Amino acid sequence: MTRYGMVIDLNICIGCNACTMACKAEHATPPGVFWGKVLEKEVGKYPAARRVFLPVLCNHCKVPACMDVCPTGATSKREDGIVMVDYDQCIGCRSCMEACPYGARTFHDKAATYYGNGRTPFEEAKQSFSEGVVMKCNFCVDRVEQGGDPACVQTCPTECRVFGDLDDPESKVSRLAAEKKARPLLAEKGLEPSVFYIGS
Amino acid sequence: MSLRLDEFLIDVKPQREWGWLVITYLFFGGAGAGLFLASLYIGHPWAEGLGLLLLLIGTLFLLLDLGRPERFWRAFFRARTSWISRGCYFITALTVLGGLDLLLQYAGADAATAWPVKAGAAVAAVAVMIYTGFVLSPSPAIPFWNSTFFPVIFFAYSLLAGIDFLILASPVLPPPVIDVARLEKVQFGLVLLCLLMVMSHLSVMSGSAIAARKSIQLLTRGKWGVLFLGGVIGVGLVLPLLLAWPALWQPSFQTMFAITAVLALLRLFGDYLFRFLVIRAGLYDPLL
Repeated sequence: MTRYGMVIDLNICIGCNACTMACKAEHATPPGVFWGKVLEKEVGKYPAARRVFLPVLCNHCKVPACMDVCPTGATSKREDGIVMVDYDQCIGCRSCMEACPYGARTFHDKAATYYGNGRTPFEEAKQSFSEGVVMKCNFCVDRVEQGGDPACVQTCPTECRVFGDLDDPESKVSRLAAEKKARPLLAEKGLEPSVFYIGS
Repeated sequence: MSLRLDEFLIDVKPQREWGWLVITYLFFGGAGAGLFLASLYIGHPWAEGLGLLLLLIGTLFLLLDLGRPERFWRAFFRARTSWISRGCYFITALTVLGGLDLLLQYAGADAATAWPVKAGAAVAAVAVMIYTGFVLSPSPAIPFWNSTFFPVIFFAYSLLAGIDFLILASPVLPPPVIDVARLEKVQFGLVLLCLLMVMSHLSVMSGSAIAARKSIQLLTRGKWGVLFLGGVIGVGLVLPLLLAWPALWQPSFQTMFAITAVLALLRLFGDYLFRFLVIRAGLYDPLL
């Protein structure tokens, strides 16, 4: 059985946010909505102070807390492990946002656009959601179904992201996770995320 | 230089997804169900109707909070796993069975016919009072809510608020006459229960995850400290306890009502504030 997942090497990430912009371009998300983003923090003290980066996205958990609390069934998990939101079923109650410890979801509360004259033809063609619903990363499921990688993976200039089948021990993502002892965020929550991080 | 994973301790993050509309639903929904249950027990159909009205007003706030309120009916689809979905059934059952009970009373139905409807409505009322606690308590993301105390606390607070509305409405409700002194004695016990449960919750949470401890800091020493300690605990629970004791022995109804009305208002203020602060003090754990 296929279970898609991702490994992100924090030692390589340079915080350029190319992944953030690739995601926005791929899904035409409205202003203020980020399905993937890069958290940033300053650590250490002068003269050894430096910035560190943590790219975050939906963790496509094996036991998704967001799915159980959804009262409509709008959130579901595919057989390949990708957690999806059906925007036609979502009622915008935001219980999934309260349940997700990763802050991976965004409520699209108003139809804001980047340009004053409403949605562009590109946005009209690309946007699969309406206002009043909760949105999140879908691992670029359309690209994955055609054998490609998610936009963030394809765009990353340092190749710090690797995507693939976690259930296949020979896949690049599985081997990397095993060799570099990649760890998920908040493992203690018991949600079995499919996004792992490398960092000593 | 290799990065350490624990350098990404992004700080706790407050939840901002649920605000005053949800809080107001929690208050009116719980109070309406509590008022219905108390009225059913004392056999006062007008007060039962008032309880249902409060519940429906509360539900309206919940509908207004939805991003797509016109799709609300979809919330009935996942009762197998979702407490919000189960809550929709509880609210519907209480409204239907409560309304049917009122109709049967109006039609003068005999006790044998009315009994199953009353029992079903009572069960639905209890379910409405506690299910909101179950909406919060399984949350893996917000440790302060992740507590088995919440269903019990919400039950006690809902009954407390329901009886307070009953006390306040008692002078204007048609007969039968409501025994306010007896209700005030029940309130004394309920306030003690609320106090015990809230303190127990805080005590358990003080040894929990970092976000739960920060929530407690917010409520006791942080920006919500005055509202929680002064409003919820002081004005909403301790002060009514202190003032209720002499009031319990007042012989005259007018004096008794005047005092209990003030106590009821204090408790209702504390109840709303409690629900407000529980929601606003919810914090997400740091990512690492």
